[in-house]
Amino acid sequence: MTNKPFDAAALAEEYDQRSPQDILKLALDSFDNIAISFSGAEDVVLIDMAVKIRPDVRVFSLDTGRLHAETYRFIEQVRQHYNINIDIMFPDAAETEALIREKGLFSFYRDGHQECCGIRKVMPLKRKLSTLDAWVTGQRKDQSPGTRTAVPVVQDDRAFGSADNPLVKFNPLSNWSSAQVWDYIRSNDVPFNELHNKGFISIGCEPCTRPVLPNQHEREGRWWWEEATMKECGLHSSNVKSGS
Amino acid sequence: MTGVTKITMVKKILADGSPCRKCEEVETRLRDEGYLDRIDHVVVADERDPDSEGMQLANRYQIERAPFFIVEEEGREPRVYTVFLRFMKEVLQTEVNARSEAAEIMRNDSMDYI
Repeated sequence: MTNKPFDAAALAEEYDQRSPQDILKLALDSFDNIAISFSGAEDVVLIDMAVKIRPDVRVFSLDTGRLHAETYRFIEQVRQHYNINIDIMFPDAAETEALIREKGLFSFYRDGHQECCGIRKVMPLKRKLSTLDAWVTGQRKDQSPGTRTAVPVVQDDRAFGSADNPLVKFNPLSNWSSAQVWDYIRSNDVPFNELHNKGFISIGCEPCTRPVLPNQHEREGRWWWEEATMKECGLHSSNVKSGS
Repeated sequence: MTGVTKITMVKKILADGSPCRKCEEVETRLRDEGYLDRIDHVVVADERDPDSEGMQLANRYQIERAPFFIVEEEGREPRVYTVFLRFMKEVLQTEVNARSEAAEIMRNDSMDYI
């Protein structure tokens, strides 16, 4: 399984127009040491799909310590509904205490969210991913138009993997729209976070998430006080010729 | 890290012709800290020109953002770094604060899907 060469670039091309279920099957067939990242939001559809392929699929969530009560209830609901274990990862206590001592509980409104998210999300995620060969996310292109134009359905994870410890990242929902995700949730009676009934689309930490109005993009409900220009360094794939 | 034979830095020019802000910051830091001469080759990914060397390298290595670094070493596959501070730590062997590295990952990718 994991010891055969895995050509993420070639498979990304081959599977680009395949269904999320096909991509998940590829992921679960290719790797034993793989887990789904569950944010407590719409990415629950990945769990619904995956348990039909592998009932004991591994799932993890990041408890930042700042989630909505509704999200905690939902994570527990999903655990019971699918009869699965969900590994909950927590931030490093010393790092979190140091940040709060130095900058208070709401430094992200003043200094940007990266530092707080780095401690509460990235560091625990890095710790978790260091134990895996592959992971699955609910990342979609339409979540951030303009800055997330290229989300391959499978890719070498260069942010968290390395030459010595390669990591493969699957994004089975990459080409799905929010509408397709919700069609699936309704058609398959998939449980969902009650915050969605209150106008939330993208759901993260409580202080950094808000409901959006009709016709507002979901990204406007996250870190709304920050400039969009902070993400200018994406390479726009439409400008990159293939086949070189 | 021993055995490194070539380091390439890819920086970006935006569609309006202006330089990528983070690329400039990274290059300035490399210069200020005396590491720029460790970079053998600096190439440009020009959004206006899909044939530019940097855009072609981004395509070859499936990279979605700049700057990034390609480290070549005899007898090994090239290694690509998209997190600058990780490159600093692993290749240039500088001290890097774990909190700063995590914050940089957040700046590269909002991680709103986890």
